[in-house]
Amino acid sequence: MTRFERLTLTLLWAVAGLAFVAMYGPALLVVTLSFFRIDRQRVDWSSFSFDAYAGLAGNHDIVAALTNTLIVGFSAVTCALLIAVGLAFYMHVESRRGQRFVEFMIFLPFILPAIITGVSLLIAFREAGIERGLLTVIVGHIVIIIAIIYRMVMTRLESLERSQLEASLDLGATKMQTFRYVVVPQLASAMVTSALLAFTLSFDETLVTFFLVGGEMTLPIRLWAMVRVGFTPEINALVAVVLLMTTCLATVGALSLKRLVRIPVHG
Amino acid sequence: MTEALVAVAVYGVPAVLILAPMVTFLLYSFWSVQDGRLSRELTLVNYATFLSNPSYRSVFLGTLQLTATVAAIGLVLGYVIAYLIWRVRSSLRYFLLLFSVIPLSMSYIVKIYAMRSILGYNGFLNSALLAAGLISEPSKLFLFNQTSVMITMAVIYLPYAILPIFLSLERIPLSLIAASADLGARPGQTFRRVVLPMSLPGSIVGALFVMVIALGDFLTPQMVGGNQGFTFGRAIWSQFGMAFNWPFGTALAVVLLLASLAIMAVAGAISSRARVR
Repeated sequence: MTRFERLTLTLLWAVAGLAFVAMYGPALLVVTLSFFRIDRQRVDWSSFSFDAYAGLAGNHDIVAALTNTLIVGFSAVTCALLIAVGLAFYMHVESRRGQRFVEFMIFLPFILPAIITGVSLLIAFREAGIERGLLTVIVGHIVIIIAIIYRMVMTRLESLERSQLEASLDLGATKMQTFRYVVVPQLASAMVTSALLAFTLSFDETLVTFFLVGGEMTLPIRLWAMVRVGFTPEINALVAVVLLMTTCLATVGALSLKRLVRIPVHG
Repeated sequence: MTEALVAVAVYGVPAVLILAPMVTFLLYSFWSVQDGRLSRELTLVNYATFLSNPSYRSVFLGTLQLTATVAAIGLVLGYVIAYLIWRVRSSLRYFLLLFSVIPLSMSYIVKIYAMRSILGYNGFLNSALLAAGLISEPSKLFLFNQTSVMITMAVIYLPYAILPIFLSLERIPLSLIAASADLGARPGQTFRRVVLPMSLPGSIVGALFVMVIALGDFLTPQMVGGNQGFTFGRAIWSQFGMAFNWPFGTALAVVLLLASLAIMAVAGAISSRARVR
């Protein structure tokens, strides 16, 4: 490597380092501030305490919003998992009419700007006479996360030996039995991983939720309502807690994804 | 019998949850509000309003420009980061990759809130510049304008660009790089003649993906944009909030949909051309 190339690389690492500072810095700053009192726009660095965190647990609005978010997440992931796994197996076991189109439909909400999914569901619910609430939010989240579960489950299905399915069917098992006893056990890891990632998405979903939530509150919506007013240590503490939760979720998801990828493909 | 039921469920669920809302959505954009009530007669009035009103047109074009800039920043910074990670051949590699996608999982509201607290009048950036003696009083340059929206979006959406760029680098067979080195190319030459041409199409596709996501964002501009940072996403959102003209808002959303599909078509053309070569 010449000196010029070494210099270029060093420069690139410096640029990357700055980008990482920009990506992590803001969040870290907010977390730091959550431990201190802010007095007339000035941070009182001598006031280190966990007071703001203690205040959180007693805040009923926040606890209620968190509960709603968990309800939405669990319901949406469970439903999406059932739909996506059923759909993937149905499309995989023999070639089906319109598979391309159905897949296109599923992926559409995932790749289009969220605002379009939000508006279209809002209008559909309005025309169908369905009141906005947690139920409509759950439907919105199902629509968004179904794609990621379907894709991961399908990838795993395609890596399975076709002969396993054929053997099972030849031995007289019905498609349901083949699904239950041959396919599902081998899909377990893909299902767990995609469910984790889907839950992470649902936990943080904001743009579609905004259109569908009506008078209810999920955690991101509550957070938005709070931060619009201004900066308080309590908001910073809530932000810190939310960051900790989402980062843990995503890290667990990513690690299980790594395990999933490492599993040697049979055959 | 069960087979038929399963088929109904399999085709029915996507049809009811995705196709039907989409069709209603398109139809709705041809309806109108008259005397405060919804009229279901088909009309082009919403689209005519959009096309004839210069302020909507300029917001639309301004948002395209803004998101294109965000995508370009994502492409350049994302490429630098992805390339550096790609070069690492030790176990540090997976850690760095994880480190660069973790911001994806950080709460979106938290990120824009944090950016506002940094860019604001009393924010960290101003304090730092003041402390460094570069400015004598806090600058209002960094908040509530198009620049602050652009900076915030660039930071938030950067991780979305890193992953696809890394994957397109991963697809280059290492044997090609070894061959280039064997034939006497220096690392810089190998990069310019082999690595960059082979990874650029996939990287541009990743950046266009970022542009599509940024296009529909309506909360970031609201949080850091103030009155000047008005974007097309906000224009749509306002029709469903204060202005309460849903059919017009829907027509604007259809325009956004068309723009997104056009961008995706470009991305598709780039990746299929790259595959042929």
